[in-house]
Amino acid sequence: MRGKPVRALAALTAIVLASAGLAGCGAKQEAGGGGETKKEPYRIGVVVSLTGTYAGLGTPEKQAMEMERDRINAEGGVNGHPIELIFEDDATDPAKAAAAATKLIDQDGVIAIIGATGTAQTMAMRSEIQRAGVPQVSMAGGSVITDQFDPLVFQTPWPNRVVVPFVLKAIAKKGYTKIALISDTGGFGKDGHDIIVKEAPAAGITIVADETFNPGDTDVSSQLTKIRAANPDAVLMWNAGKEAALVAKGMKQLGMKQPLFGGHGNARKEFIEGAGDAAEGFVFAAGKILIPEAYGTGTEAYKVATDFIESFNAKYGKAPDTFAGHAHDALMIVVDALRRVEGEVTPAKLRDAIEQTKGLVGVGGTFTFSSTDHNGLSESDIVLYRVENGAWVLDER
Amino acid sequence: MRRRLNEAIVFVAGVAMLAVPAVVTDRYVLKVLTFVGLNTIVVIGLALLFGYAGQVSLGHAAFFGIGAYTSARLVMSFGLPWVLSVVGAAVVAALAGWAVAVPGLRLRGHYLAMATLGFNEIMSVAFVEARPVTGGNDGLGGVPFPSFGSFELKTPSALFVLVWAVALLVWLAARNIVRSRPGRAMRALHCTEPGALASGVDVAAVKVRVFALSAGLAGLAGALFAHSVGFISPSSFGLDLSVLLVAAVVLGGRESLSGPIVAMAVLTLLQYLGALLPGLPRQAAEAIQDWVPDIVGATLIAVLIARARGGAPVRAKEALGRGAR
Repeated sequence: MRGKPVRALAALTAIVLASAGLAGCGAKQEAGGGGETKKEPYRIGVVVSLTGTYAGLGTPEKQAMEMERDRINAEGGVNGHPIELIFEDDATDPAKAAAAATKLIDQDGVIAIIGATGTAQTMAMRSEIQRAGVPQVSMAGGSVITDQFDPLVFQTPWPNRVVVPFVLKAIAKKGYTKIALISDTGGFGKDGHDIIVKEAPAAGITIVADETFNPGDTDVSSQLTKIRAANPDAVLMWNAGKEAALVAKGMKQLGMKQPLFGGHGNARKEFIEGAGDAAEGFVFAAGKILIPEAYGTGTEAYKVATDFIESFNAKYGKAPDTFAGHAHDALMIVVDALRRVEGEVTPAKLRDAIEQTKGLVGVGGTFTFSSTDHNGLSESDIVLYRVENGAWVLDER
Repeated sequence: MRRRLNEAIVFVAGVAMLAVPAVVTDRYVLKVLTFVGLNTIVVIGLALLFGYAGQVSLGHAAFFGIGAYTSARLVMSFGLPWVLSVVGAAVVAALAGWAVAVPGLRLRGHYLAMATLGFNEIMSVAFVEARPVTGGNDGLGGVPFPSFGSFELKTPSALFVLVWAVALLVWLAARNIVRSRPGRAMRALHCTEPGALASGVDVAAVKVRVFALSAGLAGLAGALFAHSVGFISPSSFGLDLSVLLVAAVVLGGRESLSGPIVAMAVLTLLQYLGALLPGLPRQAAEAIQDWVPDIVGATLIAVLIARARGGAPVRAKEALGRGAR
């Protein structure tokens, strides 16, 4: 009875001590191992969600960055230094993301961290980022990332505070003034909802119904019935999940003829597949990556976007989604800044260089950072799309 | 004599554990080992509830979360001293456990598992929806470090010592519980409820108490988690953590504290293996990271098929005594 707990305790202590000891030795080994003929590689840490809820976002992000890393290194790296990406999976867990940041900073000595996939994971890393003074470029969309401003933290996706006013203006321009709002209660939907409610009066729009649903809901007909009773001119939907198809189908079933609008969370093929012909006529705002022609075929942005789409297609056999685009841009921002750093690269110099990014053409838009704007995108980076015959086309206004 | 020797070994091992920060300076390794310590506290509670009293709970991540948010809020909104906040968090989690246990008494086996699973899901939604309290999906940042008066524990090694000291105290307390009358009552209850009732065990009271105690320990660990990580969000308190905890108790074996603790340590470290064994090629580390849930699931099934009692060795006498079940 009593022998076992003791043995087990001893075993546990042994495991802990052994793992601690091994880790200590290993760190030393690695420092001596990089004896290549080339210059020392630039080590960049990447925290992505490869398992858990956001696995579907993190995986294409990782693929896009691996592809770009190989391309950059094949072209001779950055100022002669190859790029080394060290990937960590946060399993969609903020605590793991924070621990991964510690690992990348302390064990791997990275000069910058790209990530995380999700907003909460990005925010969880902040205290480590601040302690080490390492710049962070997030691929998550939550407005909070750059609203709670930190000099070290940058962000690549279009935040709701840029997209929402754009959509509201577009709705007003089409002559609709009374809209019904339906949003989900997830992070993205809630964030968008609050900004819509705040910005609507400025665009001359009245919200006559405000309904919500939960991610994972399988029926939204009671919300839509209330919306129908409020008799709006148009319906605005704000969510990022597959439930968008339910809203479109539900409106058709209830015989609602109002036009349906949405945001960049609906820029997904799954929506059109799920909603079928109910998706026809759906108007939404998103970056120009969906149809690079939106940039104008002669422009540099067009070339960057089509190059990215073609090489992604060639390597992985599928078109990149917007998340892959955000990852491409995050790495590009860091690499572009690295090229501009003079002398030895330190995290502090790299941060300054990132902040000085001007007119850098990425897949998601053209980035210009300043000491007060660490997102760097504007309304000119997004366009309106319309679903027509099961595909998205540009919605010319 | 034997017992005294064992106590001495426990003491030495405990001190050795607390001395780890003197040897290890890698902040990351210390953080990971702190996570192991936090999970140890939760799994001790679940081992008492599930391993000894036989009451399954798939909702312990929710109690962990309740503790984390309660303590963070008590410090951040009400300015309570850290120690009081942590105690308060454990009490609130225990009360929540009590509230689940009282109606849950009518259920057992699969039905109790379903009810606690439902509770976990309800709390997951509540953590997201109660935005003014929890910060919703964006999470709650800037949770202050543990402090005693003006003395703040903010280095990974200080946090490590704090968490492991608490874990050792919890472990010692749990050892005393299972060796004394309540522990025997719990085991009797697990073996045969009518038998326990006939022997004068207040079955209802034992069930409720052990559930509340177990939830309280999860809440205590949650509070320590909130203050050592400094950031909490609903995704840390989902069903996957509850399942991992139950898996640790199943793997570690029934009527054992040390078995589940070791199982939990292994399951926790498995997720960080790539970083803890730097000799491991990066591809291998990434592959392991990808496969952790599958490894856990497959091991669990294998253990249940090979030996339903779990990893702890079966004592022949006791196994014979179980023939009636």
